[in-house]
Amino acid sequence: MAPVLPVVLPLQPRIRLAQGLWLLSWLLALAGGLTLLCSGHLLVQLWHLGTFLAPSCPFPALPQTALAAGAMALGTGLGGAGASQASLDAARYPPWRGVLSPLLVVGTAAGGGLLALALGLTLVLPASLHQGLEEGLEAALAHYKDTEVPGHCQAKRLMDELQLRYHCCGRHGYKDWFGVQWVSNRYLDPSDQDVVDRIQSNVEGLYLIDGVPFSCCNPHSPRPCLQSQLSDPYAHPLFDPRQPNLNLWAQGCHEVLLGHLQGLSGTLGSTLAVTFLLQALVLLGLRYLQTALEGLGGVIDGEGETQGYLFPGGLRDVLKTAWLQGGTAHKPAPEETPPEEEPRKEDLPEA
Amino acid sequence: MALLKVKFDQKKRVKLAQGLWLMNWLSVLAGIVLFSLGLFLKIELRKRSEVMNNSESHFVPNSLIGVGVLSCVLNSLAGKICYDALDPAKYAKWKPWLKPYLAVCVLFNAILFLVALCCFLLRGSLETTLAYGLKNGMKYYRDTDTPGRCFMKKTIDMLQIEFRCCGNNGFRDWFEIQWISNRYLDFSSKEVKDRIKSNVDGRYLVDGVPFSCCNPSSPRPCIQYQLTNNSAHYSYDHQTEELNLWLQGCRAALLSYYSSLMNSMGVVTLLVWLFEVSITAGLRYLHTALENVSNPEDPECESEGWLLEKSVPETWKAFVESCKKLGKSNQVEVEGADAGQAPEAG
Repeated sequence: MAPVLPVVLPLQPRIRLAQGLWLLSWLLALAGGLTLLCSGHLLVQLWHLGTFLAPSCPFPALPQTALAAGAMALGTGLGGAGASQASLDAARYPPWRGVLSPLLVVGTAAGGGLLALALGLTLVLPASLHQGLEEGLEAALAHYKDTEVPGHCQAKRLMDELQLRYHCCGRHGYKDWFGVQWVSNRYLDPSDQDVVDRIQSNVEGLYLIDGVPFSCCNPHSPRPCLQSQLSDPYAHPLFDPRQPNLNLWAQGCHEVLLGHLQGLSGTLGSTLAVTFLLQALVLLGLRYLQTALEGLGGVIDGEGETQGYLFPGGLRDVLKTAWLQGGTAHKPAPEETPPEEEPRKEDLPEA
Repeated sequence: MALLKVKFDQKKRVKLAQGLWLMNWLSVLAGIVLFSLGLFLKIELRKRSEVMNNSESHFVPNSLIGVGVLSCVLNSLAGKICYDALDPAKYAKWKPWLKPYLAVCVLFNAILFLVALCCFLLRGSLETTLAYGLKNGMKYYRDTDTPGRCFMKKTIDMLQIEFRCCGNNGFRDWFEIQWISNRYLDFSSKEVKDRIKSNVDGRYLVDGVPFSCCNPSSPRPCIQYQLTNNSAHYSYDHQTEELNLWLQGCRAALLSYYSSLMNSMGVVTLLVWLFEVSITAGLRYLHTALENVSNPEDPECESEGWLLEKSVPETWKAFVESCKKLGKSNQVEVEGADAGQAPEAG
């Protein structure tokens, strides 16, 4: 039953290991903090853009998982820094001996698991944004006129503010507004022949016009904004088709929002990857330090060489030991536990 | 009678020096904060200098920057002095400089107080600059082909969208100027010809506003043209309609923005001033306490520290006397020479 991946650690390399581990732990804490900030920022952005993302879209799960993973990484980093600093000081190490094992288990299982899950979500979820934004923006455009309907009365204001802030118009372009009735019936004059004609001209009885709301206007245009009769080339004389059309925003809000959110999740993904790498290194280093110091019986300054290892025996032995320990936990029999400890102690002199 | 006398033993002196050292370094940080506040205000004023006709006064941010730098320099010097005060050998070389240094500190505190007052009081000049600048800006709104003014339309539009305002004092300011360039007017149309003929200067005036005046919170699509004509729009009354356009004028909006900025900077400067006054007082106590150590060989002895050696009226009298003596110093010497010769002759 040879230990898995043993490394001989005399005093000097042990000290180097502890110092390097201290530095890595603080870097891990920093990376965990950065992940927390990034996922917090993404959550705030999603909260602001909530109306334009369909409720069935699973994308918000990504920053929530990343938030939890970042918090765990921060905790692991701080714990690792404390443990590695204590391992250099004989007086402060004993209280940390009991803490290290649970810290390693929680760090590997919960922390590593959350980070791996968050990384997986970063690769999978941004694809669902496309469909979620399509549905959300379609609903927003349809409810633009419903300023008197409870539940949708903010839709107009939010859509106008979105177009003004993100410099976009419609879903994929300004022509999306031609297919939606965006003028409320309350402000349509039923006695006006033009209104009646338009309503009768389509199956659903919608008042469709070839005009856009004011928030689509581009301030960079040299001419006062043309919002109505956009399909009629003769409605606005002196319109020069050779000049680039700066009248309205050219981009659709779908592309703009998709690019914005995908960029944020890409940044979050890179911070998660760096945190994952650092956490793996810190946990490995802590395990080696712990087993090396256990070999000395908890005496820090011992000049003797000890071995650090990952597991005391091969994987099968680890599982067997864990299974037996779980079994003896149900039947409290103190005479059985010493035979369990002796085979493990025999391993050390063998190596 | 000394002003505010306090007895100091060795421990108290050491504590005072250490406390002052810490406070001085904190106030270096405060100086950096003042510097960055001044820089921020300067950048904000520059960003909108186009609507202020490039003639806005940069006195407040410049003075904040200057005071911040001065505070950093003076306080780091004071920190060094306090650090050396604990060692008699090092302190001896600072001794002759302390009195003039304290005078400089008092002067600096007075300047700091004046700068804080300026932050609160100089709003009036900003108001007139804004009124004039916005009026010109609106006049040049249509000049999108004139080099040097072609960005005015974009600037005014972005300003009205960002600050949620319309016009100089209100949206009716747009009715009085021609904001649609002649280039986009169809001079063959009768309506255009009528409007141009209807006023003396031959301008095309409309009762309409640019799109950037529109308020997104309005329940109805924005009404920009024929604002005073109720019959042009269904179910519209221009006198009771409040949500259609932004009601605030841009002058009031910009003024309140800059006022709140300068007020908060004034408050921060006042707090820093209070801190500096306490540091100067502490430094004066340390100075007098160390001066009054009666027996230089025995560092443990007690000494007294005070703010002024005599009471305020007496100190002022002594100061005036010394100023007069400076002026009369030559005459005193001549009289002394005469008096010296007279007894010799006599």
